Amino acid sequence: MRAIVVFKAITRNWLRSRSGLFLSLLFPVIFILLFGSSSSQADYYLPGLITAAIMVTGIIGLTNNVIEFKSTGLTKRLSATPLTKLEWILGNILSQTVFAVALAAVMMILGIGLYRTPVTINLYMVLILLAGVTLSSGIGITLAGLVRDPEVASGLGYAIAFPMTFVSGTFWSVSTMPDFFQAAARVLPLTYFSEGLRDSMLGGDAHAALLNLGATVAFAAAFIAIGVKVTHWRED
Amino acid sequence: MAEPVVSVQGLVKRYGETTAVDGVSFEAQKGEIFSLLGPNGAGKTSTVEIIECVRRPTAGSARVLGYSVSEPDGEIEIKRRIGMLPQEFNALGRLTVEETLEFFAGMYDAPADLMGLLDLLEIREKAKVRFADLSAGQKRRVGIAAALVNDPELLVLDEPTTVLDPEMRRVTWKVIQGLHARGKSIVFTTRYADEAEQLADRIAILVKGKTVALDTPSQLVQSYGAGRTMVFTNGGEGVFGTLRRFFDTVSMEGSSVVVPFGDMRDIQVALTALIERGLHADMALRSAGLEEVYLKLAGSGMSESGETE
Repeated sequence: MRAIVVFKAITRNWLRSRSGLFLSLLFPVIFILLFGSSSSQADYYLPGLITAAIMVTGIIGLTNNVIEFKSTGLTKRLSATPLTKLEWILGNILSQTVFAVALAAVMMILGIGLYRTPVTINLYMVLILLAGVTLSSGIGITLAGLVRDPEVASGLGYAIAFPMTFVSGTFWSVSTMPDFFQAAARVLPLTYFSEGLRDSMLGGDAHAALLNLGATVAFAAAFIAIGVKVTHWRED
Repeated sequence: MAEPVVSVQGLVKRYGETTAVDGVSFEAQKGEIFSLLGPNGAGKTSTVEIIECVRRPTAGSARVLGYSVSEPDGEIEIKRRIGMLPQEFNALGRLTVEETLEFFAGMYDAPADLMGLLDLLEIREKAKVRFADLSAGQKRRVGIAAALVNDPELLVLDEPTTVLDPEMRRVTWKVIQGLHARGKSIVFTTRYADEAEQLADRIAILVKGKTVALDTPSQLVQSYGAGRTMVFTNGGEGVFGTLRRFFDTVSMEGSSVVVPFGDMRDIQVALTALIERGLHADMALRSAGLEEVYLKLAGSGMSESGETE
């Protein structure tokens, strides 16, 4: 399958970037060390930090990756082969999934090792993690499809990812925020991903976890659909 | 007569207000090397990108290997059966040459023998070297190898030797001629008349999006060339003054005096005139080549650059 070929090539290329690997893993490690200064805080922050890391790397990393392919002419070269737009996008999502799962694993190991965070690994958690990765990939693909300039896309990626991370209850509970931010949080996809991961990881409300999973899947599907639509495989 | 491998009729490509391709028509036959020759902004790249199904035409039609580029089924079939080299070939920098070819080969159902391709392009010793560490010429050869991973019936090469040094240009010419000898049909673009003349069976000269001439290199020279010229050097101003009395078309090219001529008796007239006046000069005969034809036909288009193709 061609999507697998794309996935293998992108992942292999990324794994050989020592600086990229180091910086990608440095971000979550610093966050864990900063926010997890006590065991109780770490319990709360770990799921939020994982969602934030996945969202930021998904939106910024994948956007930059796709735009780099475009600006170097590699997308055009691939579009002249039998590879389809869907296979190309799927290959990118698969690569992002491997990276995100590795990132989540490193952060969980740090949380458990340093702060004894009681992480429960269950099916809900795995599913919502995958839905979250797909969501962040969908946003990244959409952004890369809408913006041609790598610098604009990168700036826009930061402008979307970071405020969303703070408003979506990643670092503090949505209920403690002002009304306006609470209303904003309810329409942001990261809120459901973040709350769903917290519910499933820390043995919270199973029903709420399921609802949040459903909302995250719905947002992910919507963004993937938009991403496919706005990605131009054959130029006009 | 067999169906042409590429048939382009009245092709138009516009980008907003700019018309890059303005009614181009040509046919490339099976087993032929066909060249689109033109300066920057002539519409060469837009034309081949339409042939490769990476860009949609604004108007007109293009058929490749019998399939229309505008029909979805045709697009799939064309992509399966052609190989292409873009003007700037890039790959993932941290993949090796071998992995790069595996990557492109993975896009096709029945890929070619990759090691055989590395041998053909004389880059086998670079198989384990990362793409980013290759020279421009080596990257170009990997690009050509990537265009061959599906053993294509038609190769479309966009400026295959641009950015290469003279030695690498000749190596690439040899590769293209070798592929032609193996029965491949080839369509390539170039801005170099010598390259088109050296490689192509037929040439379409494009200027500002239009086909201004289309024929074999020798026919183009015969139809549009300025014929033959006498070139006098080291003769001083007296040579120019003397020859001007006999030939209206005499001109100066730097310090040389150039006299176009159609009849061998003109040579006798010129030499007699110079000898009678005791003038001495070195003389050479020059036949007009495709370069002159190209310069003449491309005219003002040659001075433009950086236009959207």
